[in-house]
Amino acid sequence: MEQQEEVPPPPAGLGLTAEEYAQVRATVEAHHRYAVGPGQCSSLLAQRIHAPPAAVWAVVRRFDCPQVYKHFIRSCVLRPDPHHDDNGNDLRPGRLREVSVISGLPASTSTERLDLLDDAHRVFGFTITGGEHRLRNYRSVTTVSQLDEICTLVLESYIVDVPDGNTEDDTRLFADTVIRLNLQKLKSVSEANANAAAAAAAPPPPPPAAAE
Amino acid sequence: MAAAAAAAAICGEDETAARVGCTGEWAGGIERVDLGERKEAVAAAGAGKRSVYLMDCAPVWGCASTRGRSAEMEDASAAVPRFADVPVRLLASRRDLDALGLDADALRLPAHLFGVFDGHGGAEVANYCRERIHVVLSEELKRLGKNLGEMGEVDMKEHWDDVFTKCFQRVDDEVSGRVTRVVNGGGEVRSEPVTAENVGSTAVVALVCSSHVVVANCGDSRIVLCRGKEPVALSIDHKPDRKDERARIEAQGGKVIQWNGYRVSGILAMSRSIGDRYLKPFVIPKPEVMVVPRAKDDDCLILASDGLWDVVSNEEACKVARRQILLWHKNNGAASPLSDEGEGSTDPAAQAAADYLMRLALKKGSEDNITVIVVDLKPRKKLKNIS
Repeated sequence: MEQQEEVPPPPAGLGLTAEEYAQVRATVEAHHRYAVGPGQCSSLLAQRIHAPPAAVWAVVRRFDCPQVYKHFIRSCVLRPDPHHDDNGNDLRPGRLREVSVISGLPASTSTERLDLLDDAHRVFGFTITGGEHRLRNYRSVTTVSQLDEICTLVLESYIVDVPDGNTEDDTRLFADTVIRLNLQKLKSVSEANANAAAAAAAPPPPPPAAAE
Repeated sequence: MAAAAAAAAICGEDETAARVGCTGEWAGGIERVDLGERKEAVAAAGAGKRSVYLMDCAPVWGCASTRGRSAEMEDASAAVPRFADVPVRLLASRRDLDALGLDADALRLPAHLFGVFDGHGGAEVANYCRERIHVVLSEELKRLGKNLGEMGEVDMKEHWDDVFTKCFQRVDDEVSGRVTRVVNGGGEVRSEPVTAENVGSTAVVALVCSSHVVVANCGDSRIVLCRGKEPVALSIDHKPDRKDERARIEAQGGKVIQWNGYRVSGILAMSRSIGDRYLKPFVIPKPEVMVVPRAKDDDCLILASDGLWDVVSNEEACKVARRQILLWHKNNGAASPLSDEGEGSTDPAAQAAADYLMRLALKKGSEDNITVIVVDLKPRKKLKNIS
């Protein structure tokens, strides 16, 4: 009889149970692994959301409108697509967006390129290519996985250069604080959308019985 | 009334007394070493000088504000004349009040409130502070006033710390939705947050009455007193790299890192604020409080956001404000006699000083919103006896 394979423990700090991690391990291996070189660091964060994966993915995939679920964004404008003038709003890998950032932060603008938009597997990825900030060569992937019928697990990971004068821990603290806050907002927005959709889909109550 | 009659007897009309009326001869809340001076002060009181606690204190201020080179305007400010009456026992000891023949338990001084609120991440919290801080502070002062009768000697500084800490905490709790707040003029009660968790504001507040200036500061806006032509800082900026602030943050498990300046978690460039709940418990709304007796050589108060202080030193701001006020009076002294009618509006001399400071900051290259309030502390009109 073949020996049962041992389930690996989930990475520390991710906040997942062993069972949950087992469900998304293939996704982590496929999309959230990076070849981290010297002077770089990487991180992976998770967020459980009580909403169907489709509702969550509908928000995550909005490369043109990240402020729906991301904090710290004042505005976002898609750059015109020089190759497809007729489909200005078509989201395809290679599209660029110009993000401007709210006040009080150590950044003012960010130019970001869409790398991955896989609707079948719910994988979204972007790279920061320019702007006024300290996150050089920042590349990120977000995946939306089903845990059960109405529970979704979002994983977001990144790799980035460690800026001169800072440590890996500094860099991770800054980026993780921002991402964690964004994932919490994604949870709020997705759950609100799912609740609204469920309310709209509910059958109307039966008419009151006529009085005798 | 016996008390009123006694007070009136002590504080007869006296032109000389009026001229030095706003002198804070009794250092409420501050321990004095110079006993000789105290004797002299008490003797002077006995000689019939007008008590500083019975002087009226007209609000004389100007306020200037600009978006400047920023894309958005997130500063707010408040000037609320006679927003509350302060129990006099928060300002002087019972013994000193008794020596003056004043009713320590009943006497209250009218006070004015001035505040500057520099928002970040949005204007909602700064605007909320503008509307609420003086209301909540007034409530706290009333609550404390009711309890003072049961106390013996009062540690004045401790009570001011308590009043302002409760006030700022209450406003912060309302902003985060932890407690209910009243909206739409009292018609509705809500318990959800005012805005997103990454929006916050500084708050520097000055309560001004005839005898004292009481200051509470949270964040990196600032208030400076111009006294005898010299600047006296009444607040210390809450920067994350301030040694005690960094220690407090790290003791709580937070971290201050240098990321375009020192920032909490690499994000927020101040260590205390109203709002910003995503950075709690590291970023707290607790103000630092100073209780300052007024003095004859007080010129003015300057409250401003860092849009001013980043480019103008305390020294220069004091020199400029004082000069602009004097210049205005020199140029307008005969033509525009001061009147009591405009107490609810700004004073033209103080306004000229605030405008000048704002323009000076712009000229010096400030890249932030700029908000400046100048409060003229020199008595320039006949003061009324309010007994």
